[in-house]
Amino acid sequence: MPDLGTQMSSEDSFELYVIPELEVLARVALTITRNSADAEDLVQETLLSAYRAIDRFDGTHPRAWLLTIMRNTEKKRHRRRRPNLLRDGDAVERLAFSAPDQVDNSPEQAYIANEFLGVVTSCLVNLPDRHRQVVELIDIDGLSYAEAAEIIGLPIGTVMSRLHRARARIRQRLGDAGVAPKRSLL
Amino acid sequence: MKLGSRIAVRMRCMRTRRILQNYCDAELDDASTNRVAAHIEECRRCGLEVSVYKDIKRSLQTKSKQVNPDALERLRILAEQLANVAKADGFDYDD
Repeated sequence: MPDLGTQMSSEDSFELYVIPELEVLARVALTITRNSADAEDLVQETLLSAYRAIDRFDGTHPRAWLLTIMRNTEKKRHRRRRPNLLRDGDAVERLAFSAPDQVDNSPEQAYIANEFLGVVTSCLVNLPDRHRQVVELIDIDGLSYAEAAEIIGLPIGTVMSRLHRARARIRQRLGDAGVAPKRSLL
Repeated sequence: MKLGSRIAVRMRCMRTRRILQNYCDAELDDASTNRVAAHIEECRRCGLEVSVYKDIKRSLQTKSKQVNPDALERLRILAEQLANVAKADGFDYDD
């Protein structure tokens, strides 16, 4: 339990640093667990752990701090339970994706945009798990390289390498499908 | 263009391609960002690559996950309870 003598500052800190990150935490938890019920549990446990630790938080990089707590919380959850069903058959189908935006109204542009999005989506779903995870954390959930490295628990260089390879694969597929120029050789 | 100039441009292309995705992610320092920006102004092929990667990024961004609003509300209530715990007389915090 937090120190009673610093409760007021804890309250302020929690409101200032934790509550604004709630939605990001929920999205990242969904990426990690791939299951909405598990994601909610994970965020709940992360919030409780953050509350216990808020007195020791120095106020710098709250998102990175919370992501570290979430990573450690998820590790504990793994130890408590059977291995997570990270890639069960319909896990990808359960991802609650929103409808893509159409940015151009002309039929030709809309068609190309739709084809482009179709290739990107298909390629994303078929990426190796470790590559797809970094793409989701950075491009979909909006984390920085450092934040993604924090939540995955890997060096930033590894995160960059996986991200860049994953996107290069998507880029290659777009060229092959004819909805983007072929990659030029230098 | 003279051979030396062409080689210099190709060298800049190679350097740019290595950090092109970092550029699209705004993960470069100011100096590198400016170098890439200057190069893609002069090199159509690298400019095109930047454009494709930005389109990929934009496409992926449309796939933003929709967190269940009810779940988010429950989490918000929990977070607010924790934030207000000091005010709540007799709040039973079970560690």
